[in-house]
Amino acid sequence: MDAATLCLAMIGFASLLSVFATIMAVLDRDLLRAALFSALQSTLYAFLFYVLMAPDIVLVYVAVAVGIYPLLIVLLIKKVGRFEEVGR
Amino acid sequence: MVGDPKTLVALIVLFSLYANLGASMYGVIARKNLVKKLICLTMLGDTVNVFAILVGYRLSRGGTPVPPVFTEWSKASEKLLANFVSRSVDPLPQALVLTAIVINLAVTIFLATLILYTHRHFGTVEMDRVSEMKKGELVDEVEVS
Repeated sequence: MDAATLCLAMIGFASLLSVFATIMAVLDRDLLRAALFSALQSTLYAFLFYVLMAPDIVLVYVAVAVGIYPLLIVLLIKKVGRFEEVGR
Repeated sequence: MVGDPKTLVALIVLFSLYANLGASMYGVIARKNLVKKLICLTMLGDTVNVFAILVGYRLSRGGTPVPPVFTEWSKASEKLLANFVSRSVDPLPQALVLTAIVINLAVTIFLATLILYTHRHFGTVEMDRVSEMKKGELVDEVEVS
């Protein structure tokens, strides 16, 4: 297996894992875990940006989507409560 | 030609992005919790940004694509420049996405503030509970007047 094939395999794996992370983030009743799954999806998207030849986007995107969004959402969860209501 | 690994990976990426788009749209529309709606909205915006970058990625010209950053410029380097132009990806979607990420950040912080004030006013962030309370408030106002 050469480097190009490995790179292609990593792209496919990252995309499929991002689907898993998105669905878990949407379905999870625990908002803190949903925020962490959203950060995982953002990390995989940063990898996709890097592979799609946009290194300047990666520099901004990692700081914003992996750093500031989860920080903001965790602060918000601290104020409004961690769990969604069940069965409504 | 699905047998070609590049085509296969492109199909996988497209399928995953559409699946992410659908899942996060479902989250924005159907989930009742406002914080969950906010998380899904950020994911939706990120997915649309990846779509925009994917539009600017050019495979068809042959050779491996390079980032749109030209570092070797001098006055006698027109051949280098022509080679770079034929290989680099499109920089316009990248500039737009850079702007969109920053705007998304501002919108997210604004919405987080609104959710915080909703929680202070109603004591909850569940959407249907909030609408029940709003209905109650309207009925009270009608009865008073």
